[in-house]
Amino acid sequence: MSTPSKPAGVALVSPLLLVLVLVFAAPVLLMLPLSLREYVPGTGITDRWTLANYTQIFTDDYYREVVVRTLELGFGVTLICLLLGYPLAYYMARATPRMRFALTMLVIFPMLLNLVVRSFGWIALLANRGLVNNLLVDMGLIERPIKMMFNLTGLLLGMSHIFLPFMVLMLVPVIQAIPRDVQNAAYTLSASRPRVFWSVTLPMTAPGILSGSILVFVLTISALVTPRMLGGPTYKVMATLIYDDFLQTLEWPNGAALAFTLTAMTLVIIGISSRILKRWSGSA
Amino acid sequence: MNAEGRPGWVLATVSMAVIVFLQIPVLVVVLAAFSKTAYLTIPPQGLTLHWFEVVLTDADYLGAAWTSLWLALASTGGSLVLGLAAAYALHRKFVPGSEMLTSLVMAPLVLPSVVLGVALLQYYTLTGMRGYSAGLWIAHVVITVPYVVRASLAGLSAVDPSLEDAARVLGADGPTGFRLVTLPLVKPGLVAGGLFAFITSLDNVPVTVFLLSASQSTLPVKIFTSVEHGVDPGIAAVSTLLIAATGLVLVLAERWTGFHKYV
Repeated sequence: MSTPSKPAGVALVSPLLLVLVLVFAAPVLLMLPLSLREYVPGTGITDRWTLANYTQIFTDDYYREVVVRTLELGFGVTLICLLLGYPLAYYMARATPRMRFALTMLVIFPMLLNLVVRSFGWIALLANRGLVNNLLVDMGLIERPIKMMFNLTGLLLGMSHIFLPFMVLMLVPVIQAIPRDVQNAAYTLSASRPRVFWSVTLPMTAPGILSGSILVFVLTISALVTPRMLGGPTYKVMATLIYDDFLQTLEWPNGAALAFTLTAMTLVIIGISSRILKRWSGSA
Repeated sequence: MNAEGRPGWVLATVSMAVIVFLQIPVLVVVLAAFSKTAYLTIPPQGLTLHWFEVVLTDADYLGAAWTSLWLALASTGGSLVLGLAAAYALHRKFVPGSEMLTSLVMAPLVLPSVVLGVALLQYYTLTGMRGYSAGLWIAHVVITVPYVVRASLAGLSAVDPSLEDAARVLGADGPTGFRLVTLPLVKPGLVAGGLFAFITSLDNVPVTVFLLSASQSTLPVKIFTSVEHGVDPGIAAVSTLLIAATGLVLVLAERWTGFHKYV
């Protein structure tokens, strides 16, 4: 064994540590007092302290609507990703190595693609004069374009597409890890396909399903780019409201309080899920 | 093998449909870039390279592309140096509290990017660093370094530490042993981590958009903000160039490192 040398170790870690303390921890902590400052429309930020920026998120109808919408979107996108991702992941896990490699590449490619580009693709598809509406009108199925952007439909579609690869890549190794023998044993005992799925496959992949779902949920509620591009300036979620508070209306204290609320939501969700995962792995 | 264990045709069909769903927006963007009309139709009415010409001669787009590129290269470089050094010390447990330090390094992955973006906007405003490229660069190091550290730790955990000790016995000093023995062994993981860092920097809007000076823009921020003023095929052309670049990088990375193992 090499003898651990403390001074060398400290010298190796401290540059990164310094950067993280100065440009990550300090800025986030310094936003805390900002979120407790009073904001008066017209005058700006005053010297008085207040909790109003936080309480209004839960009492004001407008803010509550935005928070609820953000959570709905999180659940909706997670569910869609699970429903679309599980079959694909299962197929990939059981495919020949060649096929699995090809499909993995096709899943990774859109994931690596610039987020702005992917969101733009959905605008080109869903806009009033976008591809889908043009196609439907040309085919005579509809007379007037259907509104698919600046509402829940557009955000659900676009964000499910964006986060689906994460779900698939989380599920494939978990499904691959199920020993074939276990499933075959169930079939030998004359269990039907659905029965094997419900009593064997699904429970054995539950930890992967939870991890994938938490990842997609957290990514969805924190997302800024896609909600802004597909939701426009009016159909807001928490992240886009923070964006507007800081860059458009300059109500920084409100934005800071919303930012901490969003952070708290993601931390609580990650905390709960990691405790569940620990308990599952402990009892297994 | 039991026939029941093999995927059936229903599953195969559903899977292929999902794969197609994943590629559709990509195909649409490429079609839009070559389309003569400002709005998309199937089949496209006439093909043209006009939009590429417009974009490649537009000073704004070229400036944004240049900013994106140097920012991604500089932050990847910074992350590789800081990240590998820290990962090496953390892996060898040279410092007390390694686990806590590791979680601090990974924290930028957990915090919503938009939160870091606005926090840095206030911080840079307070400290007078707002609008400076150096501030933007450091911010990009913070958001990309977790990928490098993660890849380095994964790479290092596969290296037998006694190899480096052997080099020491043979007379190499610490840095030489690291350079000649450990570094070549962790290189594939490092390349993958660096690529992730590069792509993450090139992709980022939620932090970048708050920190750019008024005269600056990056490609994704330019697309992000210009979409609000309407959709023009120029955006599709820029996007198509980015798609081509991404595809090329993916193919090269796969050749070099077996990239898909690290995703």
